[in-house]
Amino acid sequence: MNPPPNSTSHVRLARRYFLGECGVGLGSMALGALLGNDRQASGAPPASKQKLVHPNAPKAAHFKPRAKHVIFLFMAGGPSQLELFDHKPELQKYDGQQVPSEVIEGFDLPFIERDAALMASPVRYYQHGESGTKVSEMLPHVASIADEIAIVKSIHTDAFNHAPAQLLLHTGHLQLGKPSMGSWVTYGLGSESQDLPAYVVLGNTAVSGGSSTFNCGFLPTMYQGVPFRSQGSPVLFVENPDGVDDRLQRDTLDVIRRLNNDRLNAVGDPEIASRISAYEMAFRLQARAPELMDLSRETPETLAMYGVDLEKPSFANQCLLARRMVERGVRFVEVSLVGWDHHANVVDNVREYSQIVDQACAALVKDLKQRGMLDETLIIWGGEFGRTPMVENNPALGRRRGRDHHPNAFAMWFAGGGIRPGVSIGKTDDMGYHVVEDPVHIHDVQATVLHLLGMDHEQLTFRYQGRDFRLTDVGGRVVSKILA
Amino acid sequence: MLLAANAFANEPNNVDEQRQVRSLLADRCFLCHGPDEESREADLRLDTREGAIRGGLVPGDAEASELMRRVVADDVDLRMPPPDSGKTPLSTAELAILRRWINAGAKYDVHWSFRKPQRPKLPPSTGASLEQSGLDRFVNAKLDAEGIEPASPADRYSLIRRVTLDLTGLPPSIEAIDAFVNDPSPDAYQQVVDRLLASPQYGERWALWWLDLARYADSNGYESDRTRSIWPWRDWVIDALNNDMTFDEFTIEQIAGDMLPNATDATRIATGFHRNTWINEEGGHDWEQFRHESIVDRVHTTGTVFLGLTVACAQCHDHKYDPITQREYWQLFAFLNNTDEPDFWVADPEIRDRQQQIDIEIARRIAARAAHFPPLDPDVAADKKNESRRQHLDTKFRAWVDQPANRPLRWSLLDPVSAVSEGNATMTELDDHSILLTGDRPEIDSYEMVYETDANRVTGFRLEAITDSRLPNFGPGRGSFMGDGAFAISEFRVEILEASGTDKPDGTDGNVRPSSTSMEFARAIDNTASRSGVHSLAEETHIKNSIDDNKLTHWSIQGGPGKQPVAVFETARPYDLPAGARLRITILQNFVHQRTLGRFRLYATGDDGPMHADQRPTSIDSLLRKEFQDHTESDRQTLKKHYLSIAPELSAYNDEIQKLQDTRPLHPTTFVFAERTNKNKRQSHVHERGEYQRPVEEVSPAVPVALHPLRNDLPRNRMGLAQWLVDADNPLVARVAANQLWQSFFGRGIVSTPEDFGLQGAAPSHPKLLDWLAVEFQRNWSLKSLQRRIVTSAAYRRSSTVAPELSARDPQNILLSRGPRVRVDAETIRDIALAASGLMVHTLGGPSVFPPQPSEAGNTFGPFKWETSVGADRYRRGLYTFRKRGGPYAAFATFDAPPPNTCAMIRRRSNTPLQALAQLNDLVIVEASRALAERVLHEASGDDTERIRHAFRLVLSRPPTDAELSLLVEYHTRQRQRFDTGSLDAQKVYGAKSSDNAELTALAAMTTVARLVLNLDETITKE
Repeated sequence: MNPPPNSTSHVRLARRYFLGECGVGLGSMALGALLGNDRQASGAPPASKQKLVHPNAPKAAHFKPRAKHVIFLFMAGGPSQLELFDHKPELQKYDGQQVPSEVIEGFDLPFIERDAALMASPVRYYQHGESGTKVSEMLPHVASIADEIAIVKSIHTDAFNHAPAQLLLHTGHLQLGKPSMGSWVTYGLGSESQDLPAYVVLGNTAVSGGSSTFNCGFLPTMYQGVPFRSQGSPVLFVENPDGVDDRLQRDTLDVIRRLNNDRLNAVGDPEIASRISAYEMAFRLQARAPELMDLSRETPETLAMYGVDLEKPSFANQCLLARRMVERGVRFVEVSLVGWDHHANVVDNVREYSQIVDQACAALVKDLKQRGMLDETLIIWGGEFGRTPMVENNPALGRRRGRDHHPNAFAMWFAGGGIRPGVSIGKTDDMGYHVVEDPVHIHDVQATVLHLLGMDHEQLTFRYQGRDFRLTDVGGRVVSKILA
Repeated sequence: MLLAANAFANEPNNVDEQRQVRSLLADRCFLCHGPDEESREADLRLDTREGAIRGGLVPGDAEASELMRRVVADDVDLRMPPPDSGKTPLSTAELAILRRWINAGAKYDVHWSFRKPQRPKLPPSTGASLEQSGLDRFVNAKLDAEGIEPASPADRYSLIRRVTLDLTGLPPSIEAIDAFVNDPSPDAYQQVVDRLLASPQYGERWALWWLDLARYADSNGYESDRTRSIWPWRDWVIDALNNDMTFDEFTIEQIAGDMLPNATDATRIATGFHRNTWINEEGGHDWEQFRHESIVDRVHTTGTVFLGLTVACAQCHDHKYDPITQREYWQLFAFLNNTDEPDFWVADPEIRDRQQQIDIEIARRIAARAAHFPPLDPDVAADKKNESRRQHLDTKFRAWVDQPANRPLRWSLLDPVSAVSEGNATMTELDDHSILLTGDRPEIDSYEMVYETDANRVTGFRLEAITDSRLPNFGPGRGSFMGDGAFAISEFRVEILEASGTDKPDGTDGNVRPSSTSMEFARAIDNTASRSGVHSLAEETHIKNSIDDNKLTHWSIQGGPGKQPVAVFETARPYDLPAGARLRITILQNFVHQRTLGRFRLYATGDDGPMHADQRPTSIDSLLRKEFQDHTESDRQTLKKHYLSIAPELSAYNDEIQKLQDTRPLHPTTFVFAERTNKNKRQSHVHERGEYQRPVEEVSPAVPVALHPLRNDLPRNRMGLAQWLVDADNPLVARVAANQLWQSFFGRGIVSTPEDFGLQGAAPSHPKLLDWLAVEFQRNWSLKSLQRRIVTSAAYRRSSTVAPELSARDPQNILLSRGPRVRVDAETIRDIALAASGLMVHTLGGPSVFPPQPSEAGNTFGPFKWETSVGADRYRRGLYTFRKRGGPYAAFATFDAPPPNTCAMIRRRSNTPLQALAQLNDLVIVEASRALAERVLHEASGDDTERIRHAFRLVLSRPPTDAELSLLVEYHTRQRQRFDTGSLDAQKVYGAKSSDNAELTALAAMTTVARLVLNLDETITKE
């Protein structure tokens, strides 16, 4: 914003609320207030807290961060760890037998009977790279980056239905209305982009957990995940109405700015200055979005590496797009793929879904590495829970040789910023039912993500309805074994 | 703020100082030294005076007090709060407050909000006559103390727009503006206020407020997020507010309207307030767990809305700051835990009329059936036709009655001596001896009925599934997934229990049990094969699955009106029943999605012979067992009537009747509460760590001891709770409600944490004013009176212009030296555009509607599709937009409408680029721009300048300044030129064709101006 020549004290006042160029645009005093001043308003305010900081400017971490960006590859539905990462040759000898009752004690399952038989996986596993990491034959490309990733085979969660488990993974709580991980991260670290949202969601946003998986909960709306779509209009309302060209849009915005400026001069509310800069940033977002979304600007080699087909939307496109977003300063990108809920024909289905994700995930890691961005980008791959070692056969539901939801033990992998490459941690029992070594709760995953971003998960809090909430609720331990 | 610290320096231990110390201790110390025993460190508690003294506090001597020593200690091992606690050390100012408090005697009074508000003495009046109201005296006293001069009154244009937006959520009409601006009478403003409070739009605007608190939505949430019908509750709220229902009655009806001695449809509908919780319908969930979760939510919401307390914090442990123990939390839970959650048919007179018309027509057609029976000879002469018809019918009828296959078996109705649902559903035997299932609706269930019988022989059983308006989709099952009313029977089992004389130990646990024989079945048949839509996947859903001894396979049946399948189970051989034997029938229902039987009846037979499964009533059966000649005339009439309903010759005619039946409209339903009877009362428990699976000791309903008592004459149930909430002694409810209203008008509550009036909450900026408002409100519980007081105050009517020096001193306008200036709510942004453009359709109430939004926003997980409304429903007020939990309406979510997950006591007001995009490009704004262009071209006489002036006034209420007007006129000219030269496409911008090119260009150019004006900051701001 260029202050008009007759700039009054109101305008000067408003300008104080913006650091640097006011074009950054988000928020103002009202938001400053939401971020911590409000409560002191009538109590005893520590003067240090009264300074008004631009709410979405980059903020200092608690300590030196290892990663600056996160790409979360969310495998919605719960991929089968037994077909992908947790090799259980011992399961062969139990194949067709009932699970010992002491193993299953205290656990309910939605669709299968307690006396269901165990089912060995026919999938072969091989060791890869110098680390000798075991990865199943389903994921040859991921196997090729075995020395870059850290696999955790001992994740456990608290819920066995999709919606609550997805909420726990994304928000740290089973109940609704809590901020998602991406919201917490952008709340903690601010945005590095002047014209793109700090938190972007790609892929299928129609997951079981609904928009709550990228909702900002009780945090201010600016920390909400913004869904970008690969087809049609990438962001809601980003396209001009019919017949409105860029020149008309620019002309309109110029007059809006001048009229708003007049009003700012007349009534002096700094909120108007925020509105002016929000409109300017909106225009830049409109201008940047087409370039950002245009994958044809990538080299043929890059496109081939990911397996991108420019003609149709795919998980590969979204992975490549995630890299382009991170390059442009987006803090947190989530790419979700729906469909891992394999109650039937688990082997065939896992193979099909592996083919969708394998090449692109591996390409993302390699591509970030070759561009020197892997060090500061954390990649997370995983779903809301795993799958049972028991078979699910349910003729009434048309299911044969499937696996049911399993919250007790499943696998995720991590790569990039601050992750120790080429390690596998965690061990499950012979059946793959329980974790027997290095248990990692979902809260521990979240604590680790925040740690890598330079934040203490116990310090990143927000006061809401009388309580200091945090992503990890009352749990969370940093998983030091996977830290570089 | 500084003023708070300095103002009372010489008054030892006054209320405000105690309040400061209390919140200081709460913030820094109570986490480890507060009311929660579990987390208490060093056995020190600082929330009570006794505890603090025991821990070394010396009243009157700060320096001798351990507390003081520890907070100033240099040694990090001694200093409190500990450096690793994440708590900020006390500042110099805070230390001074603490020191002064101890030196003055360290008084611990009850936290301010737990004491009943007393009418405070009015400060002396100052200033102009307008400022004499009680409310203003409190506000002005504070301003005087601060030496701040309040802003001058707002101009009339701003004022009428402000008050109209506040009371009705709409901008004022130009007529209303002109009338007010030119009205010299001294009560001109009062008249405006009265008119607005009396308008039906008042109820719509304030319903929006209440819907936020009630977490209202039109879908169930969680994975399937299925559409629900609870909008009749929303309409109840609009009505109640428009009628200024007193807030105590408003509360009682919503918490326990079903339990009122004179309960009506309306008071039952009111209980929908607490039915606005989520419902999980994901396959394989634990139904009871999610029912439990919804009660947890109700406790939380009740505590927040009516008490302003964070009761939810005591779910897992004693509250860390406020005097609510974990046990007390579960005692509150017990009040709300004894409900059933049925659907309720809302009688709609218009629908009843339409039903009656159809019923009359159906009855007429049934009566005329015989006259439509085809004549024996189609070519018979016209005058012989009826005779031929009658003969034909008689012949066919006689043949049907005599048909040997029609000789039915004797089915005797089984009358249960006991009936139990394993999943805790309520089983009620109806007059016709059928069993109806209500109450809990578990995911899977097993019914066990015991029957006494005089028969000495059994060869088969007959099961009738019966539809009922109390079941989802009329049943006959209880399956709720997609509202289908389906059921699935995994196993049908019958055992013969011998008379008790022959009891013998069963050998496993030594208990004596009656010996039993399980019956074997040869086959099972049903009548569904021929009926399309009942039976879909033959193998997977076949009736034989119910006797295959495999509980993973099921006989499954889709539900819906008229779907009343009959099953017959034929035993492998005849079973003799010893005298006194009883039958135990078990119906195992092991499928998912609550697919259990909702209403059914059982029969047994000892007859031999082929068994059929059909829907023929047993009353017809018993007539058919008689010989033709033994029938009385009335028997014959009954049989003939039945025959006419099934005669193949009349199938086309009967299909027409069925089609008519299918067009019969249904009354809408809504979610309500029903209290469970004492017989099946639920027991509540304390839950360890708040976890559902860990119930420990039993608890009964009771209220927290720190609050006002539950009067002895009140029942210990939900009704008692409702009465307790609005008890005259409740110190909180009136303050919390008054604060809510205040927040709506001023953009900020007197207590800035409206959801937390406890020790961690913010202290009120004007405590006496809050108490005064609360006491005034409690006198008559009238929301409208309180609102009238607020909007007629001088504080509300001040100009909102921000004086620079004041902005620095009081940026949030806490002292109220100026009027409110805040961005309006998401729904109001829409309403302003629709009202200004003239598009708005003012229909009050009804089902929620689906205005256009980008398809990627509307269509979320599952089969749900956002079917954009057409016609009038496209332009209804934002209040009526369908609230989808899993995918909120995009423009509203962008403008901070709270997701309807939990009760929202406050709306945030962010200011983001995505909002700019929504306002610039949303189809609603585009359509409103076009309509506004049309409107001003139509309404304004004169040139484009006049038209632009008119558009500006329609949106912003005030006339534009010359500078504003000329900017807009120049803009208009530039666009007009571009349209004229074809550099912009008028048809696209205006969105319609017109044969008149000049008119089209004029409309398109004005559309761009309208869009611009709708995008001004002032447009979406209450100034």
